[in-house]
Amino acid sequence: MIDRSYKELLKLGRFPHTWCPGCGIGAVLKNVAMAMKELGWNNQNTSVVSGIGCSGRMAGYMNLDAVHTPHGRALTAAEAIKTVRPDLNVVVLSGDGDLGAIGGNHLLHTSRRNPNITVFCNDNEIYGLTGGQAGPTTPKGTKTITSPSGEHYQPLRLNRILTTQAPYFYARTTVYHLNHFKACIQEALLWKGFSFVDIISDCIELNGRRLGFKTAHQMFKWFDERFHMVEGVRDHLKDDELGIAKREAEAEVKAEEVPMGKVEVKHEDLKTFTREELKHFDGTEGRPIYIGYKGEVYDISASPLFQGEKRMRCHMAGKDLTKELDVAPHGEDLIFKFPVVGRLKE
Amino acid sequence: MKKLLSGNEAIFKGAIRAGARYFAGYPITPSSEILQQASLYSEENPEFRFLQAEDEIAAAIATISASLAGVKSFTATSGPGFTLMQEALGWGHAVEAPCVFINSMRVGPSTGMPTQPAQSDLFQVKGGSAGDYYPIAFYPNSVEESFRLTITAFNAAEESLSPVILLADAFLSHLNEMADLDGIEAEVVPRTKEPLGKGHRLFTGTAHDRMGNVKTNDPEAYRDWLNDLKERHLTTADKYPLYEYIPRKDSETLLIAFGITSRIISSLKERFSIFRPIRIYPVLERELKEITEHYRHIIVIEGNDGQYASWVEWAIGRKVMRVPCLGGGFKLQWIQSQIEERLKEGK
Repeated sequence: MIDRSYKELLKLGRFPHTWCPGCGIGAVLKNVAMAMKELGWNNQNTSVVSGIGCSGRMAGYMNLDAVHTPHGRALTAAEAIKTVRPDLNVVVLSGDGDLGAIGGNHLLHTSRRNPNITVFCNDNEIYGLTGGQAGPTTPKGTKTITSPSGEHYQPLRLNRILTTQAPYFYARTTVYHLNHFKACIQEALLWKGFSFVDIISDCIELNGRRLGFKTAHQMFKWFDERFHMVEGVRDHLKDDELGIAKREAEAEVKAEEVPMGKVEVKHEDLKTFTREELKHFDGTEGRPIYIGYKGEVYDISASPLFQGEKRMRCHMAGKDLTKELDVAPHGEDLIFKFPVVGRLKE
Repeated sequence: MKKLLSGNEAIFKGAIRAGARYFAGYPITPSSEILQQASLYSEENPEFRFLQAEDEIAAAIATISASLAGVKSFTATSGPGFTLMQEALGWGHAVEAPCVFINSMRVGPSTGMPTQPAQSDLFQVKGGSAGDYYPIAFYPNSVEESFRLTITAFNAAEESLSPVILLADAFLSHLNEMADLDGIEAEVVPRTKEPLGKGHRLFTGTAHDRMGNVKTNDPEAYRDWLNDLKERHLTTADKYPLYEYIPRKDSETLLIAFGITSRIISSLKERFSIFRPIRIYPVLERELKEITEHYRHIIVIEGNDGQYASWVEWAIGRKVMRVPCLGGGFKLQWIQSQIEERLKEGK
């Protein structure tokens, strides 16, 4: 017997819904409602926020107090609600255009502030409600009604943007990979902090048909070709991977081991170089770059100014620069930062 | 006890007295002090929450959302920020969220003169967002009145279930005056809206019926809903017909000024009658009609190119004379010479 109690969370009186046959949004709504029901989330402890677009209509079908914001503002609204009402579970149901384009600034900053909200992004790679214009996640080269010869630009890679600053939770799944899809929803709802589920979904009527697909199922098969599942906990997801990338906190940056003082090497113990020998160390053929200065030889291979080039402006590698440095615009401090490797034989 | 306070401080203290529990804002001269005080206050009082948003769009949306979630909320900005907030203002009216927007005006359009006062956002108050809506706006002219009117604005917001606008200007925001705010007794209207997490409501900016069901093809449902909203807003506005009238019997001329301009010309009361609207919008139609009847000349002195003057003309059906104080220039002598000139020319 299938458990249909999740229907308590839907306003069935408002059905049939507004979406086209074959659309992926219905699957998103249903599976989110099922996961919420399993967790015991209801109209007394949960609020749903959505933006504008086909996916924005999801909030209106949830049988609880829901907020339908202006275009792109769902995240800000959800964050404010969570701030003043920490007792409420706050879920955002929206789409790629709403979250990635017009709401892009809020996506950056709300994720940075890391409120404890869960975002479900119905990512159908198109502006569906307005008739099939190219969106921020439309793949390059896709023909849409606003990119008749193919989309010119690279899509917005939400996976890359949302996994740069920990803590983060980013999951990518599709409406086709049902078990994976359910697992991602469940885990995202339980994540403490900002969690984002990028659900690759189909828009057969306003995107798929133009691309040559006859049915929604053909689009699902296409998702299966384009993406593959990865197991286990990841730090990042590649652009063609389905899975979960998460990190609790920024890895602690280990303080670099800084020597307390320069190791003193007795002057007499250092190797001596003649000017001829010095010329040999000019950085070519994998040799280090040495320069002479006031009777000592310095290894300046680490200097960014000499990288790949034999000289920086007028200073030649493999040369005694004593005279040149006296007239250079910088002081000799610059030289003293580099290790001494020998003495210059007069 | 009397203390030296700025307009911005008085506004913030007024909001706290009114029971505000949430502030979201974005730095902008000349309203930034309100943002700063909110951040400080939130550190000392954890029940007061504060957000420095990424832009004014987010600040305004957060303010309205916090109100829907269940607390009294407010935001503060200036002209260019207020422009960004227009989207949220329209939404706030549609979802019927009580909150307060403070706009400390500076010279526009666009970035304009960030540190110079102006009164040029009146049209923005009325019609900056799409569609029909009926905002309520007040405009004080002293530090003490800033405190009182902030509370009034919160009360009107709760009664009208809408974002109410409190106008100020760069001058008033940074004006320091002695005031005894603790000694002021003010009635505070409690929260009227049921918080989130109670029912099955939908708060949407899409056209909807009284129950919150989306109705995008039903003129009748839309009319019913809009008429309800309009009536509630106008009834609330009627409760606050605030103005100040200083008549001078032997004067044939009425000066109309508000906000900081009314302070600057206050010494002219020895020669002219002065009318100061405090509720800027909806326009005090009835009061203006009654009072202006007794005067041959009406001169509107304001920090913009005749915005309020055009509303007065609309309200009383008569031409008025205009003295626009533009670019932050509010010199009394200049205003006086302009008045003389207008009276001489008779237009």
